[in-house]
Amino acid sequence: MSEKTSKPANANVDARLAEFRATFGRMSDEVSKVIVGYRDIIDNVLTALLTRGNVLLEGVPGIGKTMLVRTLGEVLELQFRRVQFTADLMPGDIVGTNMIAQDETGRRTFRFERGPVFTNLLLADEINRATPKTQSALLEAMEEHSVTVAGTRYVLEEPFFVLATQNPLEMEGTYPLPQAELDKFIFKLDVGFPALEDLDEIIVRTTFEAMPKVNRVATGADILRLRALVREVPVSPHVEDYAARVVLATHPETEHATEMVKRYVKGGASPRGLQGLILAGKVRALLDGRYSVSCEDINAMAHPTLRHRIQRNLEAEAEEISRDAIVSDILTKTPQTAEAV
Amino acid sequence: MCPPANGENAKEEEEAMTTTQAESFKTRYETLRGEIEKVIVGCRDVTDELLTCLFSGGNALIESPPGLGKTLIVKTLADALDLQFSRIQFTPDLMPADIVGTNIIMQDEMGKRYFQFQRGPVFTNILLADEINRATPKTQSALLEAMQEHSVTVGGVRHELQEPFLVIATENNLETEGTYSLPEAQLDRFFFNCRLRFPDLKDLREISRRTTATGSMSVSKTLTREAVEAMKHEARSVDVSPAVRRYASRLVLATHPNREGTTDRVKQFVRYGSSPRGVQALIIGGKVRALLAGRRSVLAEDIRYVSKPALRHRLIMNFEGEAENVDPDRIISEVVANVEAPKG
Repeated sequence: MSEKTSKPANANVDARLAEFRATFGRMSDEVSKVIVGYRDIIDNVLTALLTRGNVLLEGVPGIGKTMLVRTLGEVLELQFRRVQFTADLMPGDIVGTNMIAQDETGRRTFRFERGPVFTNLLLADEINRATPKTQSALLEAMEEHSVTVAGTRYVLEEPFFVLATQNPLEMEGTYPLPQAELDKFIFKLDVGFPALEDLDEIIVRTTFEAMPKVNRVATGADILRLRALVREVPVSPHVEDYAARVVLATHPETEHATEMVKRYVKGGASPRGLQGLILAGKVRALLDGRYSVSCEDINAMAHPTLRHRIQRNLEAEAEEISRDAIVSDILTKTPQTAEAV
Repeated sequence: MCPPANGENAKEEEEAMTTTQAESFKTRYETLRGEIEKVIVGCRDVTDELLTCLFSGGNALIESPPGLGKTLIVKTLADALDLQFSRIQFTPDLMPADIVGTNIIMQDEMGKRYFQFQRGPVFTNILLADEINRATPKTQSALLEAMQEHSVTVGGVRHELQEPFLVIATENNLETEGTYSLPEAQLDRFFFNCRLRFPDLKDLREISRRTTATGSMSVSKTLTREAVEAMKHEARSVDVSPAVRRYASRLVLATHPNREGTTDRVKQFVRYGSSPRGVQALIIGGKVRALLAGRRSVLAEDIRYVSKPALRHRLIMNFEGEAENVDPDRIISEVVANVEAPKG
């Protein structure tokens, strides 16, 4: 089976590879017309979009998260909706509700009023401000690409992509996402504060004339086609083995764990972390013009894919050992070739 | 086959027939499991335990950290059967009505108002209750009532659930903050307690191969609702000899620190042993196991085979056991080694 799928017509592959890189580049450039700096964040968001994953963005308010998703919607000519999560937001406010409607004869029936989740790009702003039941309503849609209301299942239109944001500060009145829900995001991206020159550029772009205009450079259908290509990229056994050992190394009880993991980690990444590593590695390989994933690709995508899946123990929290430091440690200590298979 | 001439032949034929029945139970079971394993990598033990629950009419509690494919395994099970499936994510603010349903006010043509019952997600065949320990006790007990009675009562009206009704609840044993652990009495209502382990290197690689490339496995429906009911019935009709029955009872008694046949470890770490429900789970689970081995009667080895999932959640540790984090599986192994099995 894999023999057949890994060898499509060769000329065709080159053309598709070129198309992939060109489309990705156009999207990234176009979004950057509006968003100053943060090129890595933009590229990672696009990568997640092409793996059919969703992204959790952590950063302080006012750094252009909404702008990023809105611009993405314009660049792709896809529908965009934003939901501000609040403590009193209800699941029905996201997925929709059954309303009682009256027909001509005066008979009352139920009619389903679609919620904002029925869109292509959804910004879930400050997801940790809503109560757990409301959070889980969104996370179900993210995972299944469908919602169920009063026993009826509604399928969402593809592509469907969720970008959720959360505040990094331990603030009152927030409900942190439980591990099981965090695990459903392919990436967690940490957005830092812009540098001085970027701030200057922001002033130039936003405080004078009209905002820069973006053009549509790709369509939803393009995204679906690129997503299909991503899945076709082959992964050689030794890369697959390496990625699996990196994931196992996040588990303190396995033989693959590093000393740092044994000392500071309570729970490690799930198989979803491995899927994320491989898929993100495939996108990176394509962007680099290669039709196969390398260990370098896995390393490059390890931080955004694994950082939110590592649960630190009390000691790590007390000593302020960051999750990123733990991931880096794993990458340097895990051999790229297995000693014996 | 030649027609039976006398009584002896009739007996032989009866035996042959029951063997065929056991065979066909086994065949249907294995077809179903094969379908599930098209999607699920590894964890054969948990798959077997869930299927045993299905054919025993019991409910299962899966203990596992997040992301090991609990939802996938249950959803695949539902896909491989011609049954309805629904999933509830348990959260601290989930209310009983979110599970069983509510009465809403409707108006008919005459303008008269009346209540209409809006069925909750519990009205299904296979229900995945994800992270059951995150809901408050009142909400948990709403589900547990449905599990026990196979019916729910809302506004004084009783609504029957359709058979088969199988609840598979999951519990995250890693995160304990903000959870309400199930009280012992409610844990006891689960037929089996399954443990999903983290996949090994080989399985991880297979998972990545199956899920990150093109094409997805489709599962075909192998059994109808009626076929499942018939297999449940078949499992119940398997014989258990008095010696094996007594063996199962002795095992359960040996998990009690103050009973004969108990072990030192039980005396040291266990506060209360398994309830009589444990013995039922041993016997009925053993019956399914016997059918899978092509037998129409339960042997001691069948009882031993199901002893861990049937008993591990029914042992209540004492303070010392809790403090030392004693694994109930080790205690069960010891009890099993200590209690003499009947011959044959």
